[in-house]
Amino acid sequence: MLDVAKQAVQAAKAAGADYADGRVVIDDEESITVRNQEMEGIDRSTSQGLGIRVLVNGYWGFAATARQEPEEIERTAKLAVEIARAAARLPMDPVVLSEVEPVTGTWHSPMQVDPFNVPLEEKVAMLMEATRRMQTIDGLSFGEGGIDLFRRRTFLATSEGTELEQTTVQSGAGIEATALGDGEMQRRSFPNSFRGHVSAAGWEHILRLRLIEESERIATEAVGLLSAEECPSETTTLVLDSGQVELQIHESIGHPVELDRVLGMEEAYAGSSFVRPEDRGTLRYGSPLVSITADASLPGGLGSFGWDDEGVPAQRVPIIVDGVFQNFISSRETASVLGQTSSGAMRADGWSHYPLIRMTNISIEPREGSLADIIGDTKEGVFLSTNTSWSIDDHRVNFQFGCEIAWRIKDGHLTTMYRNPNYTGITTEFWGSCDAVGGREDWTLWGTPNCGKGQPDQVARVGHGASPARFRNVQVGVRG
Amino acid sequence: MPGLIGTDEVRRVADAALNLPGADGVEVLFMHEWGGLTRFASSSIHQSTHSEDTGIRVRVVTEGRVGVAASNDFSPEGARRAAESALEMANVVAPDPMFPGLAPPAPTPDHEAFDDATAATTPEQRADGVAEVIGQCPEGFTAAGAFETLGSEVALANTEGQFCYAPTSQASVTTVVTGSEGGSGFAEVFAKATSAFDPAAIGKRAADKAVASRTPRDLDAGRYTVVLEPSAVSTLVGFLAWVGFGGRYLIEGRSCFSGKEGEQVAAPTVTIYDDASAEGTLGIPFDFEGTPRARVDLIADGVFRDAVYDLRTGKQAGKGTTGHALPPPNPEGPFPLNLFMEPGEASLEEMIASVDRGVLVTRFHYTNVVHPVESTITGMTRDGTFLIEHGEIAHPVKNFRFTQSIVEALKGTEMIGSDTELASEFFFSASRVPALKVSSFNFSGRSDH
Repeated sequence: MLDVAKQAVQAAKAAGADYADGRVVIDDEESITVRNQEMEGIDRSTSQGLGIRVLVNGYWGFAATARQEPEEIERTAKLAVEIARAAARLPMDPVVLSEVEPVTGTWHSPMQVDPFNVPLEEKVAMLMEATRRMQTIDGLSFGEGGIDLFRRRTFLATSEGTELEQTTVQSGAGIEATALGDGEMQRRSFPNSFRGHVSAAGWEHILRLRLIEESERIATEAVGLLSAEECPSETTTLVLDSGQVELQIHESIGHPVELDRVLGMEEAYAGSSFVRPEDRGTLRYGSPLVSITADASLPGGLGSFGWDDEGVPAQRVPIIVDGVFQNFISSRETASVLGQTSSGAMRADGWSHYPLIRMTNISIEPREGSLADIIGDTKEGVFLSTNTSWSIDDHRVNFQFGCEIAWRIKDGHLTTMYRNPNYTGITTEFWGSCDAVGGREDWTLWGTPNCGKGQPDQVARVGHGASPARFRNVQVGVRG
Repeated sequence: MPGLIGTDEVRRVADAALNLPGADGVEVLFMHEWGGLTRFASSSIHQSTHSEDTGIRVRVVTEGRVGVAASNDFSPEGARRAAESALEMANVVAPDPMFPGLAPPAPTPDHEAFDDATAATTPEQRADGVAEVIGQCPEGFTAAGAFETLGSEVALANTEGQFCYAPTSQASVTTVVTGSEGGSGFAEVFAKATSAFDPAAIGKRAADKAVASRTPRDLDAGRYTVVLEPSAVSTLVGFLAWVGFGGRYLIEGRSCFSGKEGEQVAAPTVTIYDDASAEGTLGIPFDFEGTPRARVDLIADGVFRDAVYDLRTGKQAGKGTTGHALPPPNPEGPFPLNLFMEPGEASLEEMIASVDRGVLVTRFHYTNVVHPVESTITGMTRDGTFLIEHGEIAHPVKNFRFTQSIVEALKGTEMIGSDTELASEFFFSASRVPALKVSSFNFSGRSDH
């Protein structure tokens, strides 16, 4: 397949490209969903194709095809060049790529047991048993379980001499309990919402999740939420579990520090960013406890790789250090605008899409103590767990998140359980109010497998390491 | 440029899957899409793409057990491999007692929705269209957005003898014009053909809004009378489809309309229906099980009538399918993809003139569900939000966060616009909707721009 990528580069150069990269991607996926011990869906998919990206006189062009015959490669390469030449009808400063050393290599994400080789019967049996146990809880309406497996093989060649082969295998699973009654619908999920916990690992990751062992607990909580009090509307101290801190990082830090957004490239769709290039080294983004790092080399992260889709090696980049903003995540094009080299964040959603700046593994650095320690150290407040919804404005300033469950914290103890909790805030004020970040013992490298961006729409799987954290003076319980 | 593959070749490839030994039933869903998207920002073309892909999705049934496999290898060998993989999966699962069978043979309506010129639009033509959009920006303003042209074919064949096929084309222009002093404006258009719209008009609309929205002022959050332009209304209608109009959600008690059939759920002037064959939408005449799509009246004169169904949920409800299945496997159930809200008689100007104090909203951004059974959603305003005082636009205001029940908003509908637009929502397909005046809308917070 690397030969196909190299042929594409040669064809693009022959057609007039100044720079070209060819990327063959083979995606395989398997998904199983069980509900109340009945099969909701079991499917596999495979997709293979070639994407060719070119620079002609400083303008980008991109064309992709599912077929790989020599004539089709040549036709697609010519089309990419034609697209780049058409872009030149509107003048702009020509694209300049920051330097990167050409490299040849292979990379494979770590894995002990190939999940695609595990018998389907074993996967189905796990979900059947988890949902059976959930159904033993009186009042439960639906017990669901799902397994999702992803394998991506990428073959990249560039006109600068880079030749790479990479294979990433990602595995995830989760369970969800739903209770209905009196105009209410309450859910509890484990280990996280929206299909659980996905990691760049094999079947061993799914076995470690212990879905069956946790099924009755979440079913009991879902039923209990039906009769719980509504989360009160108030301004109070907020403690978040690491799963919710994950999404808080994703929306209010990860996206705003994407340099393409900052430069206006996403303005018309998902929006831009309140962060500006001149904020590096000066913007007080959070309290001194808040240090954020983008690290594409973390084992197990959905944003981990050997090299990005421009052939830039995986890097560890400090984003926020002790509360002060330091660096963006970038591409070769955008980094050159700031006179820098790329942070290595360009990834495409399969073969048919143009690479975009995507989060790698953007994580909060752990500090000290467990979730129990943080709650024990809180006199008054609420603890929210497990995301249900998210929303943030087009500059990533005003946000609102909903969670599945909350408890009142009173004198260091969880007391009353609340349903329908949510909270809202302003990004820098919120992170500035952070006065506790948990330690390594409760730090989890979560996966966000559904990050949307770009036109045409692209979905990326990205990672976030997060500890539980505490925030002061937060508005919770927003009502319609 | 790519072109239509056509029914003969689709049948040839599908037959390799349909003739699978050991299966009681096989269904092959075929999709072919090609097109280009010219993306611009800061008034320059920065990302411009073209792609072509074919997909086959094979559903195999054996003794009531169902498996699905998909591939983009569009060849008889690829189709056969997908069918064998689906059969392998079907063989390991328990029988589905509610499996309704595959769609029986049924004619689908004639469908003329493919424009050769649109499907064959060149990068140069899209670039010229983008130039027309950008050309409308006044000094100090720039445009961002996308001009997309697509051709596609969808076909479905099954072992019951059903075969249906629909070629379509689609063109769209979306743009956000921004400038100094916080001005921001938005406009979009969707159509079957590029000849149906003028890119310059889209650019001018966004540019005029951007100029008008310069220097937005703070306005306290709270409840206001609102005039929602069609793009904002499409968010309400799109999310209502998600939390309310799916047959599975209705049957299971998860819909905001569960148990409310025949009840008044909106103002008597509100009528919402789904109709893929009506003028003014971008639909195909059959669903992804091969059933002809029926018009479904969802809310008529403010009364909730019914949801949409696929074969499975139609059987559960004892009503039959309405032709609204999504591609298998589909745990979410059926969904309406071609929504309409009936227009009223008011112009946008008349709505604004009728408001003593309220807010005009151009569009919403990044909306999500807060409480599905109460149809409560949250999101932000964007690209043109204005205070209305004494029947006139007073000045632009900074963006609000809203947290609002859709059903409550529709109950408070006081005026409906006479013109409709096919307007998109971030997560959903486009709906054809008018502007609305709503008596009370909850802005629960605000941003800094």
